[in-house]
Amino acid sequence: MTLARFEYLPARDLGLTLLQRLRSPAREPDLFETAIHWTWWTAVRAYLRVFHRLSIGGLENLPARPPFILAANHTSHLDALVLASGIRRRDRDRAHPLAAEDTFFERPFRAFFAAAFVNALPVMRGAPRRHDWERLRSRLLEERCVYVVFPEGTRSRTGRLGAFRAGIGMLAAGTPVPVVPCHVSGAFEAWPSGRRLPRPRKITLRIGRPLVFAGESDRKSGWLRVAERCREAVATLSPRSRDRSPE
Amino acid sequence: MLDSATRHRLFGVRDALEHPVVAGAPIVAGAALFAALVAITVLTRAGRIGAETSRELLRRTFSWCVLAPLMLGPVLLGSAWVIAGVFLLSLFCYREYARVTGLFRMRLVGAAVALGIGLVTFAALDHWYGFFTALAPLGVALIAVVAMAGDEPKGYVQRVALGVLGFLLFGVGLGHLGFLANDADYRPILVLVVSAVQLNDVFAFLAGKALGRRRLCRNTSPGKTVAGALFSLAMTTTLVVLVGRLVFAEGAMSRWPNLLALGAIASVSGQLGDLMLSSIKRDVGRKDTGRAIPGHGGLLDRFDSLLLAAPAIFHFLAYVRGIGDGQARRIFTGGGVP
Repeated sequence: MTLARFEYLPARDLGLTLLQRLRSPAREPDLFETAIHWTWWTAVRAYLRVFHRLSIGGLENLPARPPFILAANHTSHLDALVLASGIRRRDRDRAHPLAAEDTFFERPFRAFFAAAFVNALPVMRGAPRRHDWERLRSRLLEERCVYVVFPEGTRSRTGRLGAFRAGIGMLAAGTPVPVVPCHVSGAFEAWPSGRRLPRPRKITLRIGRPLVFAGESDRKSGWLRVAERCREAVATLSPRSRDRSPE
Repeated sequence: MLDSATRHRLFGVRDALEHPVVAGAPIVAGAALFAALVAITVLTRAGRIGAETSRELLRRTFSWCVLAPLMLGPVLLGSAWVIAGVFLLSLFCYREYARVTGLFRMRLVGAAVALGIGLVTFAALDHWYGFFTALAPLGVALIAVVAMAGDEPKGYVQRVALGVLGFLLFGVGLGHLGFLANDADYRPILVLVVSAVQLNDVFAFLAGKALGRRRLCRNTSPGKTVAGALFSLAMTTTLVVLVGRLVFAEGAMSRWPNLLALGAIASVSGQLGDLMLSSIKRDVGRKDTGRAIPGHGGLLDRFDSLLLAAPAIFHFLAYVRGIGDGQARRIFTGGGVP
């Protein structure tokens, strides 16, 4: 007679080289990366508080426990930092901003920064590949993590809210995972696209009530409805009325 | 706060190459690697080994070209660097182990093990043997306590068992290698110990491919043969006896029986450490623990033989001749008591 086996669950990214691992959507933070994240997010939060006088409204709307998705407008590289700073400290190591693979993961140094510090996961821009989104969705459900998503797909060059793409729907349609609409204002004035360094402008994060799309169909029509409802919710949080109609 | 002798042991490089074994180590290592590269090239061109085997051997040899200076460098720079190097090795080995077993998801257990490794390193740096030995039971207790966090009794024994095994192997076990650096003759001793255990692996690897058919542990590591194990035992013991005569020129360790015993301990504990990691990998269902070292696999695949050898050799040497005698103790916590 022998003792029953332990149940091992090795890291999903085991067996990859360092560079492959940095670029892998299956990457899981280990002891060192957790320490880096903790230090990084503490420093970022302090920077945002001091340099941008960050204020956060609607924290009570965040679900008590992951998984959930933060969906927000995107006008600046500061947006992901602002949103991740709004997440509770205990959930921050499980928070993954979804970042464009071509911008953040092609060059090794940038990939290291995006992975080891920001804990970002790569997504392809352009035509959505369903398989990639399905993998991200199953990870969201299995690991009970937090995704920070910018459904516009790229930074707005004017500061106005653009149309939302179907990717957010592929993550949330037909699942019990709540989508929390958020709006970041002031980031565009602080660090718009094309500017080298940020300016000391006030930034405000507004967090709205979570939306659940468990009853929505997991097809293109459903994804688009999810995207549209999320956009409406984000636009409602915007202090500028012009955001309430598509760019 | 540090007296000059202690400062010199920790950071001094003036007499780094004074001992013939230490001075000869870079030359012998360089010559051996060069000879290995020539042999692989000749055997490949002669068609004695296939292209895949040749690539594998070249990858291993090139990795050794990086590993050898990384292992020898801290020894030459001073005992503080050795202890720091062992600290990093312990942390990286634990990281691989935690990723293979899935323990890395238990953040608090990981933090407790990392804290334990840090304290073992401090005890070695401080030359505080009492604290060093106390850390094994204290670390176990800490892991057993933090594994209760979250009020989730399901999986408790597994969390604690994996955490304790990790701490004892990579924190306490490898930590003995760092504590050896408190000896006045740490440079030649470390060169002898590390090269004996690493060459023991090389002997076993080569002999396992060439010698014998009777498997040592068919289920655990099918590549190892009884003849290969005996061959590496004989070779490593011979090496330790010959080089040990230079390292331990006088005292109890200079006697033949003690040198023979040291060689046998290095070889047997090295091979057992290798088998132990194979058991872990077989249980988890992985071939390698990572891809940090081309041709070898993960760090653990390369340094597994030190896990049991370091404490076994340390305690044998401590019993026969003593470790760190005459050196200041409790350097930081007790004002450097002689």
